[in-house]
Amino acid sequence: MGSRASTLLRDEEIEEIKKETGFSHSQITRLYSRFTSLDKGENGTLSREDFQRIPELAINPLGDRIINAFFPEGEDQVNFRGFMRTLAHFRPIEDNEKSKDQNGPEPLNSRSNKLHFAFRLYDLDKDDKISRDELLQVLRMMVGVNISDEQLGSIADRTIQEADQDGDSAISFAEFVKAFQYL
Amino acid sequence: QQNKEVDESEEEDEIFRRKRLTRKKNRRIKNSGKKSESDKAPSGKRERHRKAATKDQKEAENKEKQTNKKKKGNGESSSSPSASNSSDEESLSEEELERLKEQVEEKKKLISTMRNKPWRMAKKLTVLREAQAFVEKFEGALGKGKGKKFYAYKVMMAKKWVKFKRDFDNFKTQCIPWEMKIKEVESHFGSSVASYFIFLRWMYGVNLVLFGLIFGLVIIPEVLMGMPYGSMPRKTVPRAEQATAMDFSVLWDFEGYIKYSALFYGYYNNQRTIGWLKYRLPMAYFMVGISVFGYSLVVVIRTMARNANESTGDGDDNDFIFSWKMFTSWDYLIGNPETADNKFASITTSFKESIVDEQESNKDENIHLRRFLRVLANVLIICCLCGSGYLIYFVVKRSQTFSKMQNIGWYERNEVEIVMSLLGMFCPPLFETIAALENYHPRIGLKWQLGRIFALFLGNLYTFLLALMDDVNEKLTEEDVIKNITHWTLLNYYNSSAVKNSTFSPPPIDPADVPRGPCWETTVGIEFVRLTVSDILVTYVTILVGDFLRACFVRFMNYCWCWDLEAGFPSYAEFDISGNVLGLIFNQGMIWMGSFYAPGLVGINVLRLLTSMYFQCWAVMSSNVPHERVFKASKSNNFYMGLLLLILFLSLLPVAYTIMSLPPSFDCGPFSGKKRMSDVIQETIELDFPAFVAKIFSYVANPGLIIPAILLMVLAIYYLNAVAEAYQHANAELKKKMQMQREEEKNKRNNKATTNLATQDLEDFLTPSAKSGGQSQPTADTKSDSTNKNSPGAKEESKAKNSNATCPGRGVTMAPPPHVTITQPPRQSVKASSPGRASSGTSPQGLHPGTRKGQPCN
Repeated sequence: MGSRASTLLRDEEIEEIKKETGFSHSQITRLYSRFTSLDKGENGTLSREDFQRIPELAINPLGDRIINAFFPEGEDQVNFRGFMRTLAHFRPIEDNEKSKDQNGPEPLNSRSNKLHFAFRLYDLDKDDKISRDELLQVLRMMVGVNISDEQLGSIADRTIQEADQDGDSAISFAEFVKAFQYL
Repeated sequence: QQNKEVDESEEEDEIFRRKRLTRKKNRRIKNSGKKSESDKAPSGKRERHRKAATKDQKEAENKEKQTNKKKKGNGESSSSPSASNSSDEESLSEEELERLKEQVEEKKKLISTMRNKPWRMAKKLTVLREAQAFVEKFEGALGKGKGKKFYAYKVMMAKKWVKFKRDFDNFKTQCIPWEMKIKEVESHFGSSVASYFIFLRWMYGVNLVLFGLIFGLVIIPEVLMGMPYGSMPRKTVPRAEQATAMDFSVLWDFEGYIKYSALFYGYYNNQRTIGWLKYRLPMAYFMVGISVFGYSLVVVIRTMARNANESTGDGDDNDFIFSWKMFTSWDYLIGNPETADNKFASITTSFKESIVDEQESNKDENIHLRRFLRVLANVLIICCLCGSGYLIYFVVKRSQTFSKMQNIGWYERNEVEIVMSLLGMFCPPLFETIAALENYHPRIGLKWQLGRIFALFLGNLYTFLLALMDDVNEKLTEEDVIKNITHWTLLNYYNSSAVKNSTFSPPPIDPADVPRGPCWETTVGIEFVRLTVSDILVTYVTILVGDFLRACFVRFMNYCWCWDLEAGFPSYAEFDISGNVLGLIFNQGMIWMGSFYAPGLVGINVLRLLTSMYFQCWAVMSSNVPHERVFKASKSNNFYMGLLLLILFLSLLPVAYTIMSLPPSFDCGPFSGKKRMSDVIQETIELDFPAFVAKIFSYVANPGLIIPAILLMVLAIYYLNAVAEAYQHANAELKKKMQMQREEEKNKRNNKATTNLATQDLEDFLTPSAKSGGQSQPTADTKSDSTNKNSPGAKEESKAKNSNATCPGRGVTMAPPPHVTITQPPRQSVKASSPGRASSGTSPQGLHPGTRKGQPCN
């Protein structure tokens, strides 16, 4: 089972990661080899530049924010554990783990955690609200200069109006969840 | 293209498939749908088939079902390909086995304790049956040896199958012709322009089928098995024309060798059967001519029905258009700069489209003025149409008198054409100018414009058919004369030869010298082919000059011109949707009408559509600019289809008329020698079928039977229509009810001032099953939102509550227009929010860094 990269990864480490993130053994080793191939400095950590080398992230308008999501507050290196912890958000929910461990801590890849991850991409100042200004920034990144500021403003207003339920003209996490309930 | 990137490296694929978070929620819904089913009220159609599972059911059952599903590897699990795919494919792992064992144990327990459950009998039975099936199925897997291996093999195959299906889906998408081209156009020019190209592609498909039908069943058999060229008069170029028959100018007019080829009606022989296959060519010719129409009708109507289904299918989740656009429009798999550019363009375009839609729905203006202007515009346009109709009528009348006169000038001869093309050139822009008065949404405006130009073009069609009918009548009289002459010659010949030998052998005249009739069918066919070819040329030249050269001129002369060419007068051309669509539709009408007389016409049309796909795509991308107001095409382009259906019907009429009531030429074509073309059916029935079939046929064809049948059909249509209307009505009622319910819920929530919203939300989120009614409401739409917030009752109440509450630093947050005329009752979230708004300077934003919503006032 994918023994090429596991030489560098100790079994107990894998066990821990498995417990924390829910990835399977072979997934972890595969991701580890991917991790090492991204790691150009070969010091066991990834820097922002390493991430920016991934073409999908480089052209993504939100790429920087996704990259930021990998790094804990104030640091600019991430090790494999941290890497895996972030990636765990992307792990699909498997059919058979849904009803299990209701009482245990919520797994990283639960629906609400996933939504929260997405929410944080938009919530720049971390006040748990997506404000109009934050929306405008995202819009600007997505459409460039093709649409006038005024129109972008109206789009942002409209978006907030749609999702906002308590009338504070910002989108809270609960409202965010609501908007994506059927998605 | 994305797929290509994905394949670059398997691992990258693995990781980035997960990165598609926002995008993929779309699919994930199917996963979480299953989850939600256990704790939410069954929502949406996706779970319709599983509604039976009520919320309070034992989770065991859920689990079992899910596992079942997964193991079977059926459609459900294919919707989350990464789920089953990401876990390694080798075999099932330890933990999976463990889980399975647990489940089987659980099942067994469930079976044994079934008696004690407080369930209804029916439910008990179903659960029991399911549990037993599960145990039976998977017990073997846990055992040693064969069962386990078999199970592992099955799981592996299921996973492989899922992967294969995913790849196959990708492959299928790549096989859709021109998908990438159209998507590219769509991303730059909006869905309205793309709708034209989609229509073009659809048309190409239909024509390909027609082409296959005609070539496979008529032309190829004739070429392979029919009598060769030169063997009989109708297959030979007459002596007088032979000298010039190969000249290009003659061929270009579809005379000479082309006229006497299998591409036209006149070439076909009236032999009942040809070749060693005894292929009944005249019969086949007739049937193919009919089935071209039959197939087209069926396809058009089926497409319309499907479109109608689609457009009504998803009307209910329109509540968060902008949110979804905003948060989910980027495709996280894009790794290619070019694709990314396209995606940027398409996001921009889609935003523009929704801005237009939005502006349109929010427009409030003087309704009386608007109404007046619309009526005025319609009156003006009807005047225009009547005027041009009369003009056409007048000109046609005049040309008929001209045609009887000798030595007329060039203008008199071509008057009709000149008037028609002048009308076609000036009327559409005129209509467009008048339509500006109406100020419709551009999508609706386009429909009106299409309808009006369509009416104008009908005049075109009318003159064309009228001229053709005149021609045909003339040819028919001419034919009579020639027929007499040939009869006379033949009679003379037989008289003279009958003395020598009594056998009727054909006269020893070279087939090229035989006098022959004008063969009106071929004339008509040539007319249609000429028209089609000239139409193609005109279209292409217009694009080349009007779009490409203009674009080149504007682009390059701009450096040395006195004013700004790009922004000023000529500027770049916009893509003319209405003109192109109508051109396509009318062209198709010509094809339908002409294909009976010129079987090769469909081939020409297929080539035309093929080249125009590439040519127009290129022209649009290279020399057009997007419309000023990019608008979203309606999802079903049923309007195009409706026009097409009308044209199909109109073009069916003349063909049916000629088939049923004009005598075919006596010396050319597959039906020569018969009184009517439709006689071929009767002949076949009489000669090739047993007698009773002929009897049945004669009964069926009896008007006494046909009229009641038609009546019955009309009644059925009426009844079905009534039923459909009733359903629609019920649907609308239900929708209204749901809306009301939502509003009510909203009101209640707004008024429950003392309840903490956050906890309430949390409750909703965790145990929505508790209030199944409430769960259907959460996508409360904004309209009702703002209305009931602004409703005076709610406002006053909440204000009163506000004044009662004694929260420190409760800022009255005023936010941009509609919604925030209100301060939300005593929730701190209001002020802690939105750092962008500095309205409440003393708000305790900094004081409660950790507390967001969820802090009761006191």
